[in-house]
Amino acid sequence: MQLKFYFMLSLFLFFIPASAWSASQLEVLEERIRALENEKKDSSSEKKEENTDTASGNDRSQNFWKYDNSTQSTSTATGISRRFNPAISVNGLFLGTYNSAGNYDATKSDRTGLKVQEAEVQLTSSIDNWLTGNVVLSIEGTTGIEIEEIITEALLTRNLNLRAGKFFVPFGKHNQLHTHAYAFIDRPVINQEIFGEEGLNEQGIGFSYLIPVDWFSQLTFQVLEGNNPLQFNGPAGSDFAYLIRENNFWDMNDETTLELGGTYVYGKNSLAGPSDFDNETHLAGMDLTLKWQPAGRENYKTFIWQTEIMGSFREQTQEGWYTQVQHQFAKEWWIQGRYSGYKIANGPNRQDKNQWSALLAWESSEFSAIRLQYNHLNQAATDEDQVLLQLNFTLGSHPAHNY
Amino acid sequence: MKKNVFVSILSVWIFLFTTVPSWATLNVVTTTPDLASIAKEIGGTFIQTDSLVKGYQDAHFMQPKPSYLVKMNRADLLIYQGLELEIGWLPVLLNGARNPDIRPGQPGHLNASDRIAALEIPKGEVDRSMGDVHPYGNPHYNLDPENGFILARVIGDKLSELDPENASQYKLNLDSFNKKLQEKLAQWKNQMSPFQGKEIVTYHKHWSYFSKRFGLSVIDTIELKPGVSPSVKHLSALTETMIRQKIKLILQANYIDSKFSNIVAEKTGATVLPLPVFVGGTPDAKDYFSLFDTIIEKISHVLQSNS
Repeated sequence: MQLKFYFMLSLFLFFIPASAWSASQLEVLEERIRALENEKKDSSSEKKEENTDTASGNDRSQNFWKYDNSTQSTSTATGISRRFNPAISVNGLFLGTYNSAGNYDATKSDRTGLKVQEAEVQLTSSIDNWLTGNVVLSIEGTTGIEIEEIITEALLTRNLNLRAGKFFVPFGKHNQLHTHAYAFIDRPVINQEIFGEEGLNEQGIGFSYLIPVDWFSQLTFQVLEGNNPLQFNGPAGSDFAYLIRENNFWDMNDETTLELGGTYVYGKNSLAGPSDFDNETHLAGMDLTLKWQPAGRENYKTFIWQTEIMGSFREQTQEGWYTQVQHQFAKEWWIQGRYSGYKIANGPNRQDKNQWSALLAWESSEFSAIRLQYNHLNQAATDEDQVLLQLNFTLGSHPAHNY
Repeated sequence: MKKNVFVSILSVWIFLFTTVPSWATLNVVTTTPDLASIAKEIGGTFIQTDSLVKGYQDAHFMQPKPSYLVKMNRADLLIYQGLELEIGWLPVLLNGARNPDIRPGQPGHLNASDRIAALEIPKGEVDRSMGDVHPYGNPHYNLDPENGFILARVIGDKLSELDPENASQYKLNLDSFNKKLQEKLAQWKNQMSPFQGKEIVTYHKHWSYFSKRFGLSVIDTIELKPGVSPSVKHLSALTETMIRQKIKLILQANYIDSKFSNIVAEKTGATVLPLPVFVGGTPDAKDYFSLFDTIIEKISHVLQSNS
């Protein structure tokens, strides 16, 4: 198939820069390495001398013993080193819900009651010299474990990153987040309706490239399996979906930052419809994030405004948006509001709904939060009111979140 | 077929743009402004320096802004303060910077704390119930000017390694930096000598290295656990101690809200002194030398008027 050929060709082209060293360049490099090694030998012997010189006087000798103890305690009874264990963290989400719609529909996930919303176990480590790995196992409710993400990444050449595995697709901002990192307890209606319970989470391979300009500008291209049951699932198993995203970030001043991004995904679906769409799905989205923190008081005040607009265009058109503000008004306190609208504008499944949300959070540290949220859902059926109370905690060594 | 052509064009376009931009001078990015200031003294006109943290910001809790990542992308050398000061934000930036030269283990990756004798290394196990505790010791070592000699040496060695052509110039600059710091240190010690053994309270353990060097005795901190707002119980116990021992000075970094310190100060008659903890923390703390000029001038002024 011609398509596959082009795909392989493009992959090949990506790898060229890394291998394009000429023999003479390599020789020069070898020469430099040798010179550096010699220098290093010299300086390390020098450093040793210096160390013994200054060991007395202050508590350097004391520290020496402390370090020594810590090395001993890492060997285990089995003799197997734990030194190279990955960083492990667990995010726990415990949720209490009140829903005005009652509990008649047993399949609904947002019924009145108490539940473990989700537990995410995350393992992060370097794999070897060139690969890093990240695995997120998710347990929704109390049974059933699934691989939410399994990612390997490599830096191919300067500015160009390779990512392969199963991951949350960078479609806009919200879709990339793990459940514990959501700004609100639940996802905006538009994200729930377009991508379903799991969000747009796909197996695939892709590249992200940092464009060499004065501001942060990143281009992402991914080839995805196209498994999302609501949007893709093409008739032939071999149909890929293709994603392209461009996002930009500017420091407007010391206190304010602006991020602007756009995403487009093309894929196949198996849904019958008017022939002009020919089983094709086009997803498009734009996102805008404005953040403000007062200089010198960053820990006490934050204002974030984030808006995303997105649509799915196939035999029917689904479209919607959300806009949210988050305001940290004291070291531990946040107050937030969100509006999200969604509609199917054509076809037999016409729908129109929108949701208003308000949230108050107390975050005693970056590792725990108690959050109270109110939702009002306007829809064709009876309106729904929800009150959610969530305990959100992280234990272990959790990697930092993106900005 | 349009899409396939599009994919190929995109790949070629990316290929063309992956050529590495070259820089005439060594591009040094540091996490904290003190490291940048020292690097500038040693590197002179041969290097360009840029610090991610501004002097008035809390280096523990920085936001990993993508604009930092752009700076790190262009760096030949990354110098960071270490001892897990930047643990909450630097790793994610290092990964996103997509710069092979400054990754861990590369010559362009320098942990400035490597040769620092850390204070307050926790004995035994550490746990998050202890607050924002640093398992490798207190990371605010930049506030001991003696450590300036070590930092200058480490940075000088690194610059000479990356840019051997100008090594002799770096050596000269290092010598003059050391000479100046020696003179200044004698002056600062002299200024602080009347206050040997003076008891003070600080908000956070920013001042451990500083007080050890200049003979102040920190008897307690306003926060009971690092990074955690103090309880009423702790504050009232602290107030009693301060009244009993006649402690009249509370030091704190100027990016910390002085709400809690003020409560204690009101009851004890102590002075709350918000001070810069990094170069650039106040406009007059322009470099590593004037940072200490500023701090010591202010502290000695308050202690003098108290006695």
